[in-house]
Amino acid sequence: MEGDSLRLEEVTFRHRMSDPSRLKPWRTRPGPGVHSITLSLRPGEILGLVGPNGAGKTTLLRTIAGVLPIQNGKLMLTSSAKETQLDSDSLRNIVGHMPEQVRWQGRQSVEDALLELAEMRGASAKRVNGLLRLVGLGQRATAHLSDLSQGMRQRLTLAAALLGSPKFLLLDEPLNGLDPVAATAFVQLLHELKSKGVSIIISSHQVEGLEAITDRIALMHRGQLLANGTLAEIADSLELQPSIVVAGPGKLPDLAWCKHRVESESAQDTWTIRLEHSGVGLLPEFIERGIEVHSWNPKSPGIVELLCAATGMNIEEVGLEIASTAMLPHKSIGGEEE
Amino acid sequence: MSDVLRIQSLARRVFWDRIGSTRMLIMLPILVLFLPGMAWGFSDPNIVLPGGHQPDQPMEVMFYASLGVVFGATMCGVLLAFDGVSRDRASGVFELRLAQPMPRTHQAIALMLGMWQAIFIPVAVLSLASVAIIRWRLGEWASVWDVMIHLTATALILFWYVVFTLLASSRTKDQGTAIAFGIGMWFLFTFLWALFTTMVAYASGVAIGEQNNAQWIALEGSLDLLSPNGVYHHLLETRLPEIERGVPAWQSWAMAVIWTLIPSSLFVRRMNTLQP
Repeated sequence: MEGDSLRLEEVTFRHRMSDPSRLKPWRTRPGPGVHSITLSLRPGEILGLVGPNGAGKTTLLRTIAGVLPIQNGKLMLTSSAKETQLDSDSLRNIVGHMPEQVRWQGRQSVEDALLELAEMRGASAKRVNGLLRLVGLGQRATAHLSDLSQGMRQRLTLAAALLGSPKFLLLDEPLNGLDPVAATAFVQLLHELKSKGVSIIISSHQVEGLEAITDRIALMHRGQLLANGTLAEIADSLELQPSIVVAGPGKLPDLAWCKHRVESESAQDTWTIRLEHSGVGLLPEFIERGIEVHSWNPKSPGIVELLCAATGMNIEEVGLEIASTAMLPHKSIGGEEE
Repeated sequence: MSDVLRIQSLARRVFWDRIGSTRMLIMLPILVLFLPGMAWGFSDPNIVLPGGHQPDQPMEVMFYASLGVVFGATMCGVLLAFDGVSRDRASGVFELRLAQPMPRTHQAIALMLGMWQAIFIPVAVLSLASVAIIRWRLGEWASVWDVMIHLTATALILFWYVVFTLLASSRTKDQGTAIAFGIGMWFLFTFLWALFTTMVAYASGVAIGEQNNAQWIALEGSLDLLSPNGVYHHLLETRLPEIERGVPAWQSWAMAVIWTLIPSSLFVRRMNTLQP
C-alpha cells in the first residue's frame, strides 16, 4: 500500500523519579520509561502493542503522539520521495492520539468539547459533525459530557483522535468500556481506516482479541521491545508451541499414546487436557480411539507465555513483577538501576 | 485560522465554560455583596471610619471599597481557576489537548486569558455599578482616569491570582491539593502578609503599627511591593495624593509589570514541560 511509514530508531524516554537526599530534597533520577525502541509502522498497517501493566506501552504511544519529548533516538517519516526526521510539533500534525479511559465531565456539550479540540487542530465544524455521526454520537451531540456512559466517552475520545484526518492513529486500550456491539463496530471502523491507508497502533495488555485485528504484534516488557512480528512469527522465534485444550465427559481416558500432553485435570464427570500441538490431524486419532470429546479449543500463546519465553523467567516471577510497581528496565541502562 | 485567533477562540471557550459554571452562580451573590455592597457602605454620608475619618471623594470611597476586591474577588478568582489544569489532567482530557498541534505556549496563554476574563468581566461590571452607586450617594462622579486606574489595578490583581492558581493547579493532579494550594496562597497574601510585615518590622527594630511613625509607614510600603495585594493598593494610591507611603508611582507600576510577567512566564514554562 502506498503512503507514509513511520520508523522509530532507538527512541528513548525515561520518566524522572523522585530521589530526595538530605541536601537536595528535590533531586530526581531517571526512572521507568521506554528504552531504545526500534520499530516501524507501515502504511495501512495495524500494529498491536502488547505488554503487561507498566511495560511502557502508554509512554511509547505518548512519545509517538508528541506529548512526551524524545530524549534519545529519532522518529522518521518515510514517504516514497524522501525521509524526514520528525520533532514533537510535526508529529502532532500527523498523529491522532486516543488516550486510555478519558473521563469527559462537565456541563459542556459533546459537540462543544469536540469543537474546542477541532479549533486547536484547525479542523472544521463540518468535520466535527461528521465524526460524531461516524462514532455513533450524532444523536448525543447536545448532551452534557457528564451524562455520557463510559462507552460513549470512549467513542468521543476516538472522534477526538480522528479530528485532523491523521496518517497515524494511536489507540491506548481502545476497547475498554465498549459493549460487544460497539466493539465490533469499532473494529470495522479500524479496518475502514486501514483500507484508507491510515496506520494504526493499538495498545493492549491482552493478546486475545488483538490477533484478529492486527497485522503484527510488538511485545513490550520493562520499557523494551522484546519481539515484533505476527503472533506465529513471535511464537516461532521464541520456540513456543501452539497448544490445544481438549475436554470430554467421564473419567480421564488413557492418553499414554499421546506424546504432546502437557497437563491434565479430571473432575467427577469431566476431564480436560492441554496438548502442546496445533491440533491439526489430531482429532481423527481421538475419534479412532473412541474418546468422546466435548470441546476442542486451539489456544494461541497468551501474553504470560510470550513473556515467560521472551524473558526466560518463570510464570511466578513474571506474575509478581507485573504486580510490582518498581518496573525497571530488563537490561541495565546507564547503570542507574543498580 | 491565525495563531492569535486560535488563542482568542480557545480563551473564549474557557471563559464561557467558567462563567456558566455552577460555582460562578454561587459566587455571584458574594461578589455583589462585596463590590457594590461595600461601595454602598463606604459612600454612606454618615460613615465614620476608625480615626474619625469620613471618605467624601469618589476615589477615596473606591479605594476603601477595593477591600471587596482583595477579600472577595480574588478568592472567587482562586475558586474559579483552582482546577483549571488539574481537572483536565486527572480526567485525561489534558492529554488530548497536549496531543493537538496548537503550541503549548498558546494553550497556556489562552487558559490564562479565559480564566482571567471569567472573573474580571463580572467584577468590572460590578465595579462600574459601584461607580454609579457612589455617584448616587455622594452626588459626584469619579473621574474617568480614577475609574480607569481602578479597573486596570483590579484587572491586574485578578490576573495575578488566576495565574498563581493555575500554576498551583498545574503542579497537582487531585482537586483537593489544587484547592489547598490556591486558598493557601490567597491566605498568605491576604492575611499572613500582615504578620510577615510585623515580623520584619520587629526584626528591624521598627515600632509596629504606629500610623504616624514614618519608619513603619516606609517599611510597610516597601514590603507591600512584594505582595500582590500591596501592589494593588499602591496602584490605587497613585490616585490618592493624600496617602504618601514613600513608594513612587513608577515603582508600583514596575512591580505590577514584574508581578504580571514572572508568574505568567513561569506558567507558560510549566505548560511546556508538563506531562499528562
